[in-house]
Amino acid sequence: MTNKRIIHQPIQPEIQELAAEYGNDSESILSILTRLQELHGSLSPEIITDAARALSVPAHQAYGMATFYSMLFLEPRKQIVHVCDGPVCWTKNAAATHKAIEAIANDDWTVERASCLGLCDSAPAVLVNNEQAGPVLPEDAAKLLEGWRGTPNGYTTPRKGEVRAMMANAGKVDPKSIDSALEHGAYDGLKKALGMTPEAVVAVVDASGLQGRGGAGFPVGRKWKFVAQARNTPKYVICNADESEPLIFKDRVLIETNPHQILAGMAIAGYACGASEAFIYIRGEYAAQARLLEGAIEQAEEKGWLGDNIQGSGFSFHVHVHRGAGAYICGEETALIESLEGKRGEPRLRPPYPPTAGYRGLPTLVNNVESFAAAANIVRNGADWWRSLSDYETPGTKLYILLGPVENPGLFEAPFGLTLRQIIDEFGGGMLPGSEFRCALTGGAAGTIVDETLLDVPIDYASGSRYGISLGAGAFMVCDQTTSPVALLQVLLHFFAAESCGKCTPCRVGTWRSKEILTRMVNGQGQPGDVEELKALADHMQSASFCGLGQSAGVPMNSAIQHFAQAFEKAANG
Amino acid sequence: MTVNITINGQKIQAQPEQTILEAAREHGINIPTLCYHKDLSPTGNCRICMVDVKGARFLQAACATQVWEGMEIETHGEKSIVSRKMTLEMMLANHPVDCLTCEANGDCELQDLAYEYRVEVPEWGTKGTHYPVDSDPNPFIFVDFNKCILCRRCVQACAEIQVRDVWGVAQRGFDETIVAGADTTMLEARCESCGQCVAYCPTGALTSKISRGLGRAPQVTKVTTTCTYCGVGCQLDLNVKDGKVIGVTSNPDAPVNGMALCVKGRYGWDFIHHPDRLTKPLVRQYLLSDQPKPKGKLGEWVEVDWDTALDITARKLSHARDTFGPDSVGILTSAKCLNEENYLMNKFARQVVGTNNIDHCARL
Repeated sequence: MTNKRIIHQPIQPEIQELAAEYGNDSESILSILTRLQELHGSLSPEIITDAARALSVPAHQAYGMATFYSMLFLEPRKQIVHVCDGPVCWTKNAAATHKAIEAIANDDWTVERASCLGLCDSAPAVLVNNEQAGPVLPEDAAKLLEGWRGTPNGYTTPRKGEVRAMMANAGKVDPKSIDSALEHGAYDGLKKALGMTPEAVVAVVDASGLQGRGGAGFPVGRKWKFVAQARNTPKYVICNADESEPLIFKDRVLIETNPHQILAGMAIAGYACGASEAFIYIRGEYAAQARLLEGAIEQAEEKGWLGDNIQGSGFSFHVHVHRGAGAYICGEETALIESLEGKRGEPRLRPPYPPTAGYRGLPTLVNNVESFAAAANIVRNGADWWRSLSDYETPGTKLYILLGPVENPGLFEAPFGLTLRQIIDEFGGGMLPGSEFRCALTGGAAGTIVDETLLDVPIDYASGSRYGISLGAGAFMVCDQTTSPVALLQVLLHFFAAESCGKCTPCRVGTWRSKEILTRMVNGQGQPGDVEELKALADHMQSASFCGLGQSAGVPMNSAIQHFAQAFEKAANG
Repeated sequence: MTVNITINGQKIQAQPEQTILEAAREHGINIPTLCYHKDLSPTGNCRICMVDVKGARFLQAACATQVWEGMEIETHGEKSIVSRKMTLEMMLANHPVDCLTCEANGDCELQDLAYEYRVEVPEWGTKGTHYPVDSDPNPFIFVDFNKCILCRRCVQACAEIQVRDVWGVAQRGFDETIVAGADTTMLEARCESCGQCVAYCPTGALTSKISRGLGRAPQVTKVTTTCTYCGVGCQLDLNVKDGKVIGVTSNPDAPVNGMALCVKGRYGWDFIHHPDRLTKPLVRQYLLSDQPKPKGKLGEWVEVDWDTALDITARKLSHARDTFGPDSVGILTSAKCLNEENYLMNKFARQVVGTNNIDHCARL
């Protein structure tokens, strides 16, 4: 028997030094593993064990993380291309792109699938090492490996009907320059807040009626109040920029167009809640956006808008950018906190909720990027201004994402209560010639799959449970007659199965089993009883899963089967 | 202050910090569990204990949901039963059907629940994960992760009871698996073979390697006794079959140690029926014939009765004390003896022999 690793060999000096650079802080393990992977091309069990020893955490914890996050790997690689197989890229035939890249790539390259990269407006999208690229058609493969990355979308000009608040300065502000941001009043809201009492700031956000933009729509003001009233200190603010759900890329656009708006929103929240330490948890695939935020933080600290004693007010606020490493589940707030603490991103039991016991067991405010951007504008311009932006019962504006065969896909900002028909016709310019509306995936991958009967329902946070058409994070993927709802659902379940954390039985096995059945159905090998089993699986995952990921995996399943019963029966019975 | 709740129509006064499961069990209402164990912190992983709480959107995990005033709970409503059956089916779908030869047969929580809820292994089953059987060279612990239901009780037992942190969770989703350390052997991952993970495993994934094939739960008689190894006084259950000890299992009611045992207590029982074990005193031939100690070879061992052996011992000790003085004698006592026996040896040393040369193995 070999006992090589229990005999105490010294930790490799390189790893010891790296750990020391991070203060031997066990919470920095994800960053350290990522750095070691960059240095060595992969993570071996020896490296993982040494990293764990250097940080005084169990070896299984480091290994559990290295095998949990999809951007960490144990097999050696030189250069990697990740080709997105999310639903939008799927409709744009990313599979052909994948094959084309594989065909020309030499041994230096590894070509792999990836869950949605958050580049749906550049589908088919790929990640070359850490660089985003798209749209990459099969004929672009050679260019891509030589350094071509495509053209990103700017969203600098509002489209007809848009009401811009959070996107108001897109294109006007240079995202790399705080001077440019200051010219457009980026920190005016913070300045105003610092002249108010923290309670008054919370009251403004509360009065605005702002609802959380991660998808659940929880009142932001109420959450701030919970954190502000929590007894324990210190308190923390976390900006959830893990945006990993297929179809959603709004937070990326907000970061790319105006990063200081988000930082101002976070600082306001910190002041209101009594926190002076904050994290932006950004998905690992958004490396460029993480750098942009890091640059913005640095500049804001230089100008005294972040850091110690902001503008002489006595209020200090430090923001750290924490990069994820590929895990959709980390968008769930308690999983995000686990990940931030240097563990596998698995959801925690709730209660206690983060406002009472979050990061390090202390009161923690977790809001979405868009929520902070909205809050910055609300405090700057007042709750009444926010309510005046819309006549609809849900106040303010929302970022929408429209994808699929429409004339003018992409991102826009508008009030709540739009119908799907309005979104497609008024904002999207209608369906493309030759394309006929067949179905739409609304909200995001965890949203509803609807047919034309729901085209005229006003959509808001309540419409999902009330009418069966959800808003979620605000994305709408329209499909025409060429897309089978069965195949679309298969792509979604492929995503959920790949991203299930594995903690609870219903989601771990249910997503896998559902994907297996749907794959058979798509391949013409459906069996009688398949539809009934899918329904049972959907209900089970919804009612018995541990967290929102498993619970919501059942939503597109049930809605698709409800609206497209014939298509599913046909696929099941051949 | 108590909280008024209703479980299955029965009005119950629960403690405010209690979970649904704790309140129910206290009142004799059974809610099935797999990942839950009273010694370990609740995780809510397995989802077997899902119950219907009036007003809640989804089923609630009884093991992890605290009671609140006015809570109305159905533990065996239709939704809960359907949910439990489906969860069991999902577990069985990736579980080998070899109860006939499984070590855990008759002592398997998964088997008991499959029986209670009448769940068969589904047709789509057992085509997913495959792990090597006996995948770890640990001399005492037999590992077969094909039987693992990923409840993680082993991970918790190792972390929370033994505090060794050997076991962990690797991969994610359907590929999730339990690993030792960075996917090494258990011993490389600092395992001290205490077998706490085996004691808490609800299935046959972790079993005793040295008891393998010797007898299963329904065939053995459990004899509760105190461990003979040290002075802690852990209680354990000797598993006896056909008059022979074939293994040791934890006794959950043990007052000192609970389910915890060390490697010696749990796996060091093979001396009991070992052919080398002395069951009667042996003395050297020369002592019987009152000859002086021979030079070189000391001669044959001869089996004698206790009186003979003790007489010789007394004679030799007296001789040593009288000839060379009391401090020429030293006494070392054993943790395998009772406190009373150790006390007597102390008296014997100081008052009969007249020396302070007495020590005890547990002080080393």
